[in-house]
Amino acid sequence: MSAIADTPRQRSRWQPDFWSLVAFAAWAILILLLLMPLSLVLVSSFRDESGGLSLANWQRLFTSARYFNAFVNTLIVGFGGLAGALLLGSVMAFCMARLQIAGSRLVSMLAILALVSPPFIGAYSWIVLFGSGGIVRQTLMSWGIFMPPIYGVWGVLIVFAFKFYPYVYLLTSGALANINRSLEEAAENLGLTPFQRVMKVSFPLVLPALSAGGLLALIHAIADFGTPRLLGRGFNVLATEAYTAYSAEIGSNLGMATTLSLALILLSMVFVFIQRFMSRRNVYHSNLINRPEKVRLRGFANVAAHAAVYFIALGGAMPAIIAAIYSVRKTNGPVFQPGFGLESYSRIIATLGDVVRNSLVFSGVAVLLIVVVGTLIGCLVARRNTVQTSLLDATLMVPYVMPGIVVGVAFIAAFNTPPLVMTGTATIIILSVFIRRLPYAVRSSAAALRQVGPSMEEAAISLGYSPVKAFLRVTIPLIAPGIIAGAMLSFVTAINELSSSLVLYVGGTVTMPVKIYIAINDGDYGTAASLSTILLVLSGAAIYLAFRLLGRDERALL
Amino acid sequence: MAYLQVDGAIKRYGATTALDGVSFAVGKGEFFTLLGPSGCGKTTLLRSIAGFSQLSEGRIDLDGVDLLAVPPHRRDIGMVFQDYAIFPHLTVAENVAFGLKARKVPASAIRERVAEALATVRLAALADRLPAALSGGQQQRIGIARAMVVKPRLLLMDEPLSNLDAKLRLDLRDEIRAIQRTIGIAAIYVTHDQEEALAISDRICVMDGGKVEQIGTPQQIYGQPATRFVASFVGTMNLLPPSAFGLPSSDGVAHWAVRPERLRLSEADTPAQFAFSLTGAVEHFTYLGREAHLTVSAQGHRLVAQIAAPPPDLSIEAGREIQLALDLRDLHAFDSEGRRVTVGRAA
Ligand SMILES: Nc1ncnc2c1ncn2[C@@H]1O[C@H](COP(=O)(O)OP(=O)(O)OP(=O)(O)O)[C@@H](O)[C@H]1O
Ligand SMILES: [Mg+2]
Repeated sequence: MSAIADTPRQRSRWQPDFWSLVAFAAWAILILLLLMPLSLVLVSSFRDESGGLSLANWQRLFTSARYFNAFVNTLIVGFGGLAGALLLGSVMAFCMARLQIAGSRLVSMLAILALVSPPFIGAYSWIVLFGSGGIVRQTLMSWGIFMPPIYGVWGVLIVFAFKFYPYVYLLTSGALANINRSLEEAAENLGLTPFQRVMKVSFPLVLPALSAGGLLALIHAIADFGTPRLLGRGFNVLATEAYTAYSAEIGSNLGMATTLSLALILLSMVFVFIQRFMSRRNVYHSNLINRPEKVRLRGFANVAAHAAVYFIALGGAMPAIIAAIYSVRKTNGPVFQPGFGLESYSRIIATLGDVVRNSLVFSGVAVLLIVVVGTLIGCLVARRNTVQTSLLDATLMVPYVMPGIVVGVAFIAAFNTPPLVMTGTATIIILSVFIRRLPYAVRSSAAALRQVGPSMEEAAISLGYSPVKAFLRVTIPLIAPGIIAGAMLSFVTAINELSSSLVLYVGGTVTMPVKIYIAINDGDYGTAASLSTILLVLSGAAIYLAFRLLGRDERALL
Repeated sequence: MAYLQVDGAIKRYGATTALDGVSFAVGKGEFFTLLGPSGCGKTTLLRSIAGFSQLSEGRIDLDGVDLLAVPPHRRDIGMVFQDYAIFPHLTVAENVAFGLKARKVPASAIRERVAEALATVRLAALADRLPAALSGGQQQRIGIARAMVVKPRLLLMDEPLSNLDAKLRLDLRDEIRAIQRTIGIAAIYVTHDQEEALAISDRICVMDGGKVEQIGTPQQIYGQPATRFVASFVGTMNLLPPSAFGLPSSDGVAHWAVRPERLRLSEADTPAQFAFSLTGAVEHFTYLGREAHLTVSAQGHRLVAQIAAPPPDLSIEAGREIQLALDLRDLHAFDSEGRRVTVGRAA
């Protein structure tokens, strides 16, 4: 009673103050690290070599045969990757969600392995098996069976299908397993044939998941830079061209690189909007009264289902497995010798300690920033529904579709000249990882917070806790597991980040993925394989921790 | 002066007006019930008093202090939430102790008071469980214990018994009433259940569409409904047009109304003892245990009559002729706007 009589003051003012501060900081960060670099990219794409305003770059994009090819090829890998991922992913999802598959835990582990395979090593592993001198190809040839090497557009598409199918699989199998079986039974009961039932009931219900998974595959396929670079053999895409334009030893052309980057962003944006438009009405919630049962197949059908599932799962995880095997092959310098040994690892310990350390420190710091900033912005977006926060939310969609190469090029464009010079520092690499992964953290913490709902905090306030204390004592403990799990998953992407670091690194800031790229280019496969294996182990540990906290849910990885 | 005073409370959400000029006063130690259909603004009103939503207009005073100037956490107003809002990361006992900790009550006293509160809501056996595995009704009771244990200056309860079985409801509503009396705090109680409202309240406020329809004691609300809405919302009411059955016509009366239990029924051949009687045919007979309802259709109007303590073998087949009688003093009259009018002859 006295508490009130003592302090006859105006309405509590802290909430607006604190959250306005957060909003202010969020906008400052976005302007500095996103909007400013992006607008410089935009400006730079409208400058010619001498610095004058011109449409030359855009003209070249559409008239030069080379860039036009790259543009068409990007669409080809995008839709080809999408088609392959949809095919493999939906077959896998159906089998795993609706059929009894022996060793299904192993299969979903293999899918995770495919998802977190370090970039670049994948393409290399495919070459090891199916390249001109590949083991499998050579063996088949010695038996008299001709097999073309995996280079070129088909090679890229095959690799993409196996690399990106987990997006479709994880989302769709979740949706399939959650369809209320009663719906399908009702359809049967109403006289629909099994085929009609699938087309009219099951398919529309999983369509949102299917299209969301497909979109992820498409965006990643468009942005992927390592696979076409290594396997393409003249098959160029926008991402590789952007990197080439930027990194050419002679006549590095930032204007062209930024133009190509913008084309990539615009393309991704278009697909995001198409997908959103397609699934705008299709949000279904089912109240899992009647979960579908897994059918046990018999005879040939059973064998076929198992063969399909294991073919896809092993194909996707193959790069990681090959890397692990090659990491323990005996080497002499960069050359593999018969037999096994740990030379590659001892070489890493002897000479590449700082590379490993760089990776750990950069990702650690980036994840810390992501968690703190992401959680605060997430709370802001979830709790304040104003025009300003919706705008913030929408702006955060931009890094979501920005390929890593583009972030790298944009940062070079922004931070190479005063007032803010950061090129060549660790900071610029950390910030590039930070801005790319921030949207995921914002989304996951906003989602966690929406689950908690405001009445929990209000209950604490009605019991006498100030808003700050209520937030700390009630909301934070409730969303903490989600935040930590999100941090672990951010760590996985941060430590595997290649494409933006590749543009931004200098001698002292080489990270493991960059070193893998360099090692493969130098033909030092032993080092590449062992570094990849270390990355896999670190990623695996982080995922294990996240699953311990969140409960096993592979979809959190997407 | 009243303990809690709400004056001209208006709350708008965009185009909808959830509260439309609500005013009332609650005395210290009073048990005040809000009764009304879903969506009439009950929760909005409680949340405004607790400070979780700001009124668009109006004023709320508690104990002579303008509440709107006090931040929610210093209002010392306990609230039982409609959606429970039980902290899932704390055990049942920790949930109940939560408010006591904020008040810096010594640990030993906390233990004692928590144990007592849990015993009151019949949850002593679950003290160390996490709420996730508890049923809706059990969570609801944690919410009640948590709000009451801190002995707030004002207790707001938003349908606190809605998820309990009938027996537990009765027990707990008596407990709530008893505790509220002992600690002498004012309580505002929201319910859908008219019988509960009549049984537990000192006074009832019937709301509809964000407006107060009537405030009064249970007897006034049931016996002298101020509007046609109150008459038909609280209990069952037979509404009749002014000219039905040749009822005495009277200026300004748009509706006559009579409670089912005021209709006496007599077999068609026994003479009516009441001033007014009418004959109709039984449409159906509903057995309800301690009473039975008889739907009778008479001259195109449908009336419900009540039979108190029906013998177990009583059954009245449809189509049977029956005679209903009523005392004109039991008639309520409402004007065309639904307001109660006093009719000299009927009163
Ligand atoms: N945050 C909000 N935004 C918009 N309209 C709201 C909001 N909260 C409540 N309303 C509207 O205000 C009106 C009153 O809502 P309120 O929750 O107070 O009803 P209630 O009487 O508690 O109903 P119930 O008995 O179903 O709990 C409803 O029409 C509701 O739709
Ligand atoms: Mg309500």
